[in-house]
Amino acid sequence: MDFDSPEEKEFPGLYASEAVDAKSKKSKEESDYSEGDHEKHSKKDLIGRRKDKKEKGKDRGYAALEGESSPEEELDTKSPSKSKKSKTFKFTSSKSKEKREKSRDKEKEPKATEDEPVQKVKDKDKDKDKDKERQHEEKEHKKKDKERKEKDKKDKSDKKDKKDKKSKQTQLEDAAGVEEVLALGYPIFGVSVSLATERSRCHDGIDLPLVVRDCIDFLQQKQSLKCEQIYKVEPIKTRLLHYKRLYNNREHDATVDELNIPTACSLLKLFFRELPEPVLTTDLVARFEEVASHPKVTEQQAELQQLLEQLPKCNRTLLAWMMLHFDAVIQQERYNKLNAQSLAMLLSPTLQMSHRLMVALLCHCTNLFPDVKLIKYVPPLTSTSPGLPDKPEDIQLELRKQDSLLSQIHSEMNAGFISKKREEQLWEVQRIITQLKRKLRSCEKKQERSIDELDSSTSAQTPAQPAPPPQIDTVSEDTTDSKPAPPTHITPAEEQLEEPSFSESSEIDYTIDKQTGYLLLPKTSAQRDELLRLQIEYDELMNWQNELKTRILAERNEVFRLKQLCEQEMLKPSVVGATSQEQMPGDGDYERIIEHYTRENALLEHKKQMLGMELKEERRACIALQVELRMQQF
Amino acid sequence: MSKKPTAGPALHKVIMVGSGGVGKSALTLQFMYDEFVEDYEPTKADSYRKKVVLDGEEVQIDILDTAGQEDYAAIRDNYFRSGEGFLCVFSITDDESFQATQEFREQILRVKNDESIPFLLVGNKCDLNDKRKVPLSECQLRAQQWSVPYVETSAKTRENVDKVFFDLMREIRSRKTEDSKATSGRAKDRCKKRRLKCTLL
Repeated sequence: MDFDSPEEKEFPGLYASEAVDAKSKKSKEESDYSEGDHEKHSKKDLIGRRKDKKEKGKDRGYAALEGESSPEEELDTKSPSKSKKSKTFKFTSSKSKEKREKSRDKEKEPKATEDEPVQKVKDKDKDKDKDKERQHEEKEHKKKDKERKEKDKKDKSDKKDKKDKKSKQTQLEDAAGVEEVLALGYPIFGVSVSLATERSRCHDGIDLPLVVRDCIDFLQQKQSLKCEQIYKVEPIKTRLLHYKRLYNNREHDATVDELNIPTACSLLKLFFRELPEPVLTTDLVARFEEVASHPKVTEQQAELQQLLEQLPKCNRTLLAWMMLHFDAVIQQERYNKLNAQSLAMLLSPTLQMSHRLMVALLCHCTNLFPDVKLIKYVPPLTSTSPGLPDKPEDIQLELRKQDSLLSQIHSEMNAGFISKKREEQLWEVQRIITQLKRKLRSCEKKQERSIDELDSSTSAQTPAQPAPPPQIDTVSEDTTDSKPAPPTHITPAEEQLEEPSFSESSEIDYTIDKQTGYLLLPKTSAQRDELLRLQIEYDELMNWQNELKTRILAERNEVFRLKQLCEQEMLKPSVVGATSQEQMPGDGDYERIIEHYTRENALLEHKKQMLGMELKEERRACIALQVELRMQQF
Repeated sequence: MSKKPTAGPALHKVIMVGSGGVGKSALTLQFMYDEFVEDYEPTKADSYRKKVVLDGEEVQIDILDTAGQEDYAAIRDNYFRSGEGFLCVFSITDDESFQATQEFREQILRVKNDESIPFLLVGNKCDLNDKRKVPLSECQLRAQQWSVPYVETSAKTRENVDKVFFDLMREIRSRKTEDSKATSGRAKDRCKKRRLKCTLL
């Protein structure tokens, strides 16, 4: 990690300030929209770690300084003598007063907005300092994963050292104020890959942050790939920041803001540079490097493959898309003068990997990601789009996109992301969904009608007379046959099963079995057995269907009963006593118990499914035997 | 509202609320497409837009048909917030649905923070008068308490269907003209009542 990014040197102030953002959002899998879960820990944290309070106080000044360091440096030891740090710091001192007032105002607002990044800054800052103390003090906490730690800290920092918070907030605001005003506390840049992906989805099911997708889409165009500027020319800085802000505030509209090549390249680079951890993850990056230095190329690929499977899914997707895109770039070496070596030279620092590793990944990329295709993103339709799709499949596809978009809008609004524009969008998306659903329904109706027509036309071809009466006979005599509930309607599939045999039988004599109502062909007929078999099978399946139906009804009644019971229980005052006992075991135990049960439950769920399937198979076998058995009677 | 980006006709946003199965979707579909759907299919949320002529002036109406079931209450606020007028529907054959209107009213007032938001109390299924469970007097009393109009409709026969939508649009329209006067002129007291809107404007 000891490299110097060229951009950093060019805009040291800019970069250092952005790094605050970058650092702040370390939290890996954390979701914006599930506020609840970190509250769970707050209580025991307060009790458990009140004693560190003092030690932490000492670190505060130190931590504040760290806030200014860039992501690369954070992996080094924290040497306060780095020259960059002082630059943004000047801002703080000059503006701090008014900013502090501002920040105070902001704190009154719902937490969901400005406070969040600030808290995260602190989490991150303290992370390093505290880790050591903690190892001494609380050995049992070692096992906990990072994510938990951060959440814990967040809770803690929520409750205490307000002062610290404010001073940090002013710094952050200063830093942010210079380059951009974040409308909301939910940026895309500077947060983990998973968070960025969740916050700005591509609604076609490909888990990439929208900004990455847009840039790659733009650069994947033939004329962009062939352009000599690609990954070489720096864009106008203000333009770059303009796009960053647009994406951070989800205001980007591809139709209005046309990217250009340098901006798209730099936007991608910026995204990667601001990631709080390498795309290959802190845990795995060393192992990747190890594999890259492997002398045997063939083994290298298998090992890379294996490591890639360990990456979080969204990291893997992101990496795959980038590598395939880079591959496309170097395919055009003739035009853009970039080969694997030179491209890796330009970009490996940004991707936080060694030159060798990047070349290795590039060299194997088509084999490493055979399942990934760079598909141009077609965003969900808007009201300005020319028209809705006509084919049912296309409608389904579009509906899925719109649903994804709608749920994102809802979750953003629930998180306090409310603007006039957003509300407009909500109604618009809802309207498109309604239209799509109506269209789909009318398509289905049309299809049904055409099937009906087809059916009627086929039945018209065959002499229809003999067919209906026996059918009615089977049904009506079934009732006398002590069947639980006589089938009043015949499902189309079964109808089709029977029909051909009827049409064939129509020319031959047939008899009806008095007892069962089965249609019997003369013994000489070749179809006799087949027809009989089908009829018996039909009976058996009907039985099964009825049985299942009664069971479903019973389950539904049970659900209703339980719901009522639940409501009644809700009305009663809740019993508090029970909970205190559960909290008795230590944090680690508690964690382990939860983990144990989640695992067990997942296993049981799986087992249940398997058994259900087995049951179905057994039942099928039963029916087959039953049919054979009854065949013997005739 | 005054800064509607589209320079086209005025747009009024209407939201249908009420318990499940009272006929919100039926009313909406009858108004939109002159169709009556017999079979019941619970709505999650649906939205429609239609151009209509309101007192000689061409306007657009956006209708949001919400879910009656509590299961979708979480997303309700997001919709309520952006609504300009509300049709609060119950079935005159179902007392529970009538009782539920109270809760809907409260939720709307809580979200909109405005006592005088355009609002109509609608008793649907009036073609089933022989199965009536909610006496007319009770409905009128509640409407009076809330100082909102009460209208009985039938999505099946189309009785009063247009009336409720048009009446509500008129209320929304007069409300908007009032508002624009208020913002341009004096009446700051209204602003206090309707803080949410004013900050937007």
